[in-house]
Amino acid sequence: MGVAFAMPAVIYMLVFIGYPMLQNIILGFKNVDVFTFSKPDMQEFVGLKNYMELFTGKNSILTKSITNTLIFTIGSIFFQFIIGFGLALLFNKKFKGNSFFRGATMISWLLPVTVAGLLFKFMFASTGGIVNQFLTQLHLIDAPIDWLLEPHTAMIAIIIANIWIGIPFNMMLLTTGLTTIPEEIYESCSLDGANRFQRLFQITIPMIKPAIMSVLTLGFVYTFKVFDLVWVMTKGGPVNSTELVSTYAYRLSFEEFQFSKGAAAANVLMIILMVVGCFYIKLINDEEEAM
Amino acid sequence: MKWKRAMAVCLAMITVGAMALTGCGSKASDAGTAPAADAAESGEAAQSGKEEAASGGKKEVVIWDYFETDAQKEMMQTLIDGFNESQEEYTASHVYVPFADYEKQLTLGVASGELPDIVIMDGCGMASFISMDLFGDISDADINWDEYIQGPMESTMMDGKHYGIPFATNCTALFYNKDMFDAAGIDYPDENTTWDEFREMAKALTKDGVYGFGNAGTNTDEGTFQCLQWLYTAGGSYTDIESGIDAYKLMQEMIEEGSWAKDVVNWTQSDVNNNFMAGNLAMQQNGPWQIPGIEKDAPDLNYGVTVLPKKDASSNQATSILGGENMGVVKKDDTSGAVAFLKYYDQTDVMVEAMKQYGSFPPKTEAAQDAYWTEDEIQASFIQQLATSIPRGPSALWPTYSSAIQTGFQEVMTSAKTPEQAAKDTQAAVDAIE
Repeated sequence: MGVAFAMPAVIYMLVFIGYPMLQNIILGFKNVDVFTFSKPDMQEFVGLKNYMELFTGKNSILTKSITNTLIFTIGSIFFQFIIGFGLALLFNKKFKGNSFFRGATMISWLLPVTVAGLLFKFMFASTGGIVNQFLTQLHLIDAPIDWLLEPHTAMIAIIIANIWIGIPFNMMLLTTGLTTIPEEIYESCSLDGANRFQRLFQITIPMIKPAIMSVLTLGFVYTFKVFDLVWVMTKGGPVNSTELVSTYAYRLSFEEFQFSKGAAAANVLMIILMVVGCFYIKLINDEEEAM
Repeated sequence: MKWKRAMAVCLAMITVGAMALTGCGSKASDAGTAPAADAAESGEAAQSGKEEAASGGKKEVVIWDYFETDAQKEMMQTLIDGFNESQEEYTASHVYVPFADYEKQLTLGVASGELPDIVIMDGCGMASFISMDLFGDISDADINWDEYIQGPMESTMMDGKHYGIPFATNCTALFYNKDMFDAAGIDYPDENTTWDEFREMAKALTKDGVYGFGNAGTNTDEGTFQCLQWLYTAGGSYTDIESGIDAYKLMQEMIEEGSWAKDVVNWTQSDVNNNFMAGNLAMQQNGPWQIPGIEKDAPDLNYGVTVLPKKDASSNQATSILGGENMGVVKKDDTSGAVAFLKYYDQTDVMVEAMKQYGSFPPKTEAAQDAYWTEDEIQASFIQQLATSIPRGPSALWPTYSSAIQTGFQEVMTSAKTPEQAAKDTQAAVDAIE
């Protein structure tokens, strides 16, 4: 009977997830472009040609965009996690206005990403942007920084924007994890004379390890496939310095009409995420076995 | 026993699922003519149109456009009302599709068959979609093909066949803020201004918060549209980058001097115009469609327009890149309605009226000589610039060229590479396009 219960979900996944994925994998091995798009008899399998062309080439944008995506993801998650964890610890304490402020921090998660992207684009503008104004007023910088115009600072700017968006997600999952730690453990610890740091590193972190691992892996998957934020803020520029695998795949398919190459780039993204996904599933299974 | 039952349930579900899917598919393909949010509404409209047709009523002609401003929307409505009143057989309507999604929706439309009868689109994108089989051959239609300006006309054709007609044509020219020139005691630029003189002007006009010059250098085709003319004026072309290296040098040097706004790598054409209106730019490269906006938002701006600067005293007038839209007829069994609409627009007086509202120029040689344009100082400069304007491509692979070319400009503008290196790499990238 178990099989029958699972069947609707299985069919749903086969039709709406499995089929498009399979189509995309097949498309990545074909030669569909502007000339063969509507001529099925001219579409043929070309093996790994698309992948070879994407990865080799003197200035492979795909290789660059994979590096960019890794920098973007790790940079985002590192700070999202630390700040989110700090806020989770803060909101785990009882104080007046706790629920109000916790609700208020959710705003950045509730705001549509395109809106957030536009706001940050204005804030990081070289002339008249609030970030530069703030920094010059504080005399931290002499001349305005061309945030979105210089390759390095553009990457930093989109990472900062993404950190802001992702903090509530980290905070909420970690807060949920924190509520599962029984108060008694902390009480007996204090009786034994453990200080704040010992409590944090010996009790809190080990106790919510499953939540931490979920936050990190899910955060990785969410951040790795970010598209809209970057598209709104920089469109992958300047000079491909913020080109992510997602924006590159979109550009290939829908701006240059190189459908098979776009599919191949999207498949590379999928393969990387599948590896992370497998890691996540293994982690969950290990936890369940341990229980 | 359990397994058998499970299998039976499974099979039943698959059958139901398959039915649901095919059901959806066929419904979508014959009713839908519009994407996204408009789908339901115009789907109904299209269906009711078909019912009318079946009962001897008028046939529906659906047009897709990406016109955003009120003036453009009014122009489209006037045109459609005029067409609907001019004959009894067809009734036209139009659907707005956002520009950012336009080509994606067309691509999806080709794949799914959910398409209108006429597509109005950027001229340089048309070749790609002719290759993708979106447009049908209408060479037999009774249209005054010879009356059109050559560049725009070519962008609607492939291998000698006609797939539509140009709708509007324009190009970019040089806008200058007269007050700033007067204050600095510098003569206005004109058709004799060379790159060296232009550079001196920009330098002299650059001061606190004001850049001498700015144009659109964003990393999309919008950026290519404005930057490419510098390459052509320098002697290059979209396949011969290295001959236009002087353009790279000029851009990099002026940006390093601070007289050409470095922000341009992130600017769209509206960004450029907003900065010009706000007084942050003494000169801008932009098109005639910005004029209604300037009149509305900055009515007191004292500005002039002239052709873009030429390379040196002995060279000809600077090249500009043709912009504007085409009307393409979507390949269908019955294209008579679409062709009828094109024939209506083919009338010079209809075209002239529409283009006055739209803020662009009619794509016919004769129509563009209307007094409305030639007697207006600013409009006349654009007409003068049109004479040395060339289309992008035309090539089905234009988007790939455009992306490679604009990367080159961005490398130069951000000083990521020297002009020599950027020219070499961009040439290699362009050569690699099959």
